[in-house]
Amino acid sequence: MRGLTRDLVVTAALAVLLVFLPAVLREVFGRASVSYLSLATNALVLAVLALSWDMLARTGQLSLAHAAFTGAGAYTVAVLFKLTGAPLWLGIPLGGLAAAVLALGLGSVTLRLFGIYFAIATLAFTEVLKAAVQRLPTAVAGGAAGINVPALFRPTFVAGSMERWEVAFLRNQGYFWVYAGLLVVAVVISVVIQRSRLRAAFTAVRTNEQVAGVMGVNPARMKLLAFVLSSFVAGLLGAVEAHRLGSVSPDGAFSVHTTVLALVTPIFGGLYTTLGPILGATVLAGIEETLKRTFSEGYLIGYGIVLVASILFMPRGLVGLGSKLFKRGGASASGTTGERA
Amino acid sequence: MGRALEISGLRAGYGKITVLWDVDLHVDEGELVTIIGANGAGKTTLLRTISGLVQARAGSMSAFGATSLLGSSAARIVRSGIGHVPEGRQLFPLMTVRENLESGAEYLSRAKPNAARNRKLVFDLFPRLAERGAQLAGTLSGGERQMLAIGRALMSDPRLLLVDEPSLGLSPALSLTVFRALRQINADGVTVVLVEQNVQQSLSIADRAYVLENGEVVKEGSGRELLGDPGVRAAYLSL
Repeated sequence: MRGLTRDLVVTAALAVLLVFLPAVLREVFGRASVSYLSLATNALVLAVLALSWDMLARTGQLSLAHAAFTGAGAYTVAVLFKLTGAPLWLGIPLGGLAAAVLALGLGSVTLRLFGIYFAIATLAFTEVLKAAVQRLPTAVAGGAAGINVPALFRPTFVAGSMERWEVAFLRNQGYFWVYAGLLVVAVVISVVIQRSRLRAAFTAVRTNEQVAGVMGVNPARMKLLAFVLSSFVAGLLGAVEAHRLGSVSPDGAFSVHTTVLALVTPIFGGLYTTLGPILGATVLAGIEETLKRTFSEGYLIGYGIVLVASILFMPRGLVGLGSKLFKRGGASASGTTGERA
Repeated sequence: MGRALEISGLRAGYGKITVLWDVDLHVDEGELVTIIGANGAGKTTLLRTISGLVQARAGSMSAFGATSLLGSSAARIVRSGIGHVPEGRQLFPLMTVRENLESGAEYLSRAKPNAARNRKLVFDLFPRLAERGAQLAGTLSGGERQMLAIGRALMSDPRLLLVDEPSLGLSPALSLTVFRALRQINADGVTVVLVEQNVQQSLSIADRAYVLENGEVVKEGSGRELLGDPGVRAAYLSL
């Protein structure tokens, strides 16, 4: 329990830091703070997506359905407003719930599948969901063109008391805080998993389902729990994204690109940890932005090279590299050599 | 003394292949029973079927008076007091020794209240584990891993412990340490069923033993009797 308390205190410190970050950026960078805040928001979105994917990966399930869950959250919000005009903030928790219910259904029928078979089933599910949404009546889901979604924040320009860039800053700041809130929710779920008996159960299911069984763990129940938690967070994220982007369409909401980002980021940062996906998201968002500014054409080639190199030279991600360097530093400082015996 | 385990007419296998053919055996409470046999005889399948990891096709099994256990999930079997040390140790390499041990009791309401007591028993039995409590399991030596695998199963507070090939890959000296520990566990009141290829050592610590050939029990007797059996000596001890 001491470990959990410490992690929750660190999470609270992270939350405080995120609350004050926009003001600090504005103070330091002035007009340029709009783009820095946008970069920080992208990093937050990526961190939430990656952390939610990692929660499921801890049970050994390689999901290619994350776009389906973010898409489900986004469409829940969009259809809700289109059909009922519900209160602005209601769609976000409902988006999370819709994704969780979908995960419960998908998880129940794919429990016996392992590895690549599970991955292919989840990828197929995403495509089926996308096709189903496209074929829904246009009056409900908007067809291939999609649906418009109202923005959560609409700061108004007050001539004389603010500059134009400040309107954009205020709008971005609102979304930044919402994503920060989502990240805190995801981090709390993640540390509770890591600091409770769920960690041993998830690890057992991932390492060897049969060993999990002789420990008294029900592997099917654990896999479903991980699937539902992971999808709930992804659904929340998709719902907020729908508001920020202003519209949802089948091609955008169920894009394979989302799924690829969801799995690449925790691999880059360090799997099965809370810190890894957050670190991975922060560094990858920074690298992407730098490459974009340096090579406006073909920057994705550089991005790909960075990812391939990281998998080759950092098999345990940034967290693994960090702990290796830390251990090496500790060993040389204490006069010992080599790795742990 | 009551029956810890009674199996009759047990058939089990994988897919279309039947590995065990009408196996009958019993283990009395407090006994240490060894099952020997050649590679592929069905020894590991027998233990996996008892602990619910392989589904039986026919037969019946009772443990400590509880009947109809055959076909139950592994989770239910372990809750009934049957612990399993699987072949190849199957530890969690990125968790510490202490975390691996705790995981053995975490999901068992019967064992969790006794976790502190059982951890002490494990550390008394294997002091090396106490010294390496904060070390990652993946960094342990082969012998220490086997100790940890046995310790994790003991944390489930078993009345009957199934141990699969504990000496696999260990030096003779380490094997001896592990066999002594199993004898000690048995002396402390835990019934033990041991599957082992090291016939000499396993029979020498066994109260009784069964010989399994092609999925059938072909011989039964005390450890001493089977050590003196010409057929066993010729087939398994090359004497």
